[in-house]
Amino acid sequence: MAVFKDASEVYECIGGLFRRAMTDPLSQKVADSKIAVRFNYSEPDSAITVDAKNPPPGQPYAIYEGETSAKPDVVMTMKADIAHQFWLGKVNLVAALAKGQMKAVGPIQSIIKLIPVIKPAFELYPQYLKEIGRSDLVQ
Amino acid sequence: MLPEFLDFSMRTRVMGSAGLVRELGDQVSRIGGTKAFVVSDRTLEKLGLVGRAKDSLTAGGVAVAGEFLDVPPNSDVSVVERAAAAASGAGGNVLVAIGGGSVIDTAKGMNMVLSKGGALMDYQGLGLINEPLGKLVAVPTTAGTGSEVTNMAVIKDQAARVKYSFTSPYLGPDLAVLDPEMTLGLPPGLTASTGMDALTHAVEAYISLSANPVSDALALYAVKVINEWLPEATHEGFNVEARYWMLIGSNLAGAAFSNALVGCVHAMAHALGGLFDVPHGLANSILLAPGLEYNLDFAAARIADLAPSFGVRPAGPAEETARAVIEAVRSLAKECGLPARLRDAGVREDGLAEAAEAAAMDGAIFTNPRPATAEELLVMFRKTF
Repeated sequence: MAVFKDASEVYECIGGLFRRAMTDPLSQKVADSKIAVRFNYSEPDSAITVDAKNPPPGQPYAIYEGETSAKPDVVMTMKADIAHQFWLGKVNLVAALAKGQMKAVGPIQSIIKLIPVIKPAFELYPQYLKEIGRSDLVQ
Repeated sequence: MLPEFLDFSMRTRVMGSAGLVRELGDQVSRIGGTKAFVVSDRTLEKLGLVGRAKDSLTAGGVAVAGEFLDVPPNSDVSVVERAAAAASGAGGNVLVAIGGGSVIDTAKGMNMVLSKGGALMDYQGLGLINEPLGKLVAVPTTAGTGSEVTNMAVIKDQAARVKYSFTSPYLGPDLAVLDPEMTLGLPPGLTASTGMDALTHAVEAYISLSANPVSDALALYAVKVINEWLPEATHEGFNVEARYWMLIGSNLAGAAFSNALVGCVHAMAHALGGLFDVPHGLANSILLAPGLEYNLDFAAARIADLAPSFGVRPAGPAEETARAVIEAVRSLAKECGLPARLRDAGVREDGLAEAAEAAAMDGAIFTNPRPATAEELLVMFRKTF
């Protein structure tokens, strides 16, 4: 059974992680990357774009859920279940790419630039899920 | 320790012997090639190496459908697009690359475009090519990049001064023909620097955070072979045996780093190549020992493992042996007549800070044993200047 029952749960949990990160020191790292990344998820179909290239005034980055005209530098494609495991820090990125569980389109330098930016979120995600009463997803 | 994950791929059949290029046509024919499109450069054409390969193709019943001989020393996105268009117009069912890393990487780029359609930059990414491409045969004429066996291609955008990396398990050629006669007479400086490039591939692959048991085995033997034969290949350019073993060492190192990736030495060399056009092998040669010193506290045991391959007798604690290995690296570069300072390789001191910033964001830095900031890399650059 899929972790998320529909797109709104994806946006609440993973989209919420990015919103929660705006008040975390992590937001500065995301802002410094100046990269726009689109995450395309399946099962359930959903999409989140985090745009640090064109942030709204006074904010480190913009978050778009679903379709958007924001043009990403990097597009990451995976099942929402894999995304959930990834943000919990339980997915080896190299292994996931090798097994075809993830696909990344865009300059490899930009993709690699994201790795140190993403790492601190692995601690924040389970903490955030607990904050919103979704401890059931922290396994 | 139980490793978390193993992923090793090498799809290339490797054949080697002195004079093997005379059988190139037969071997291309055996993999189903009937019409070849040849990729090379003008220098190799003048030296007669392209003609030698083309004669062999024809003798083996493989028609030469066309050729692209304008590959520059650092391949370029626009060159790949032009060469692919030429190959598409000529027809043919096998690409035959005769040259160094730039030529072979150009052919890999062409193969992506010809097989999958679209533009080269459509294939920037990870996990994008998941099926075999068209047939590709590589005949290396230097012993350094190991590109004839790697799963990757590095292609520059000259206008943007950026090097793009392309990677897929299917990028590796179908066949690599290692013929030492194709590298005879390569000038000493180029032999030494390309050989040190191969050594750096092997050493950095071995200490990489992405090293695996298969790449380890290849890297250790690559170091042994290169350490043993590089001085002879450098100083006796027509020594066929030395040339053969350097091709083997480079090939093994290529297979190792193609899977294990590299580290801070390559990150810094990429930056210096982009900013100052320092030849890649020369930059690696100068920076390998300092890079190992930088990693000493994080990878002493792994560096010490390399001692037997360098002919160093392990003695005392790992750090002591590792220091002896680093000295062996310095001695090898010196024996081959290569400089030890960046100032002797065309680097300007006022550009070091920019180079350090670029190196800190280079993809290779993320598999380096010790994390490295731009400030730490700048210290290393200054010490080596």
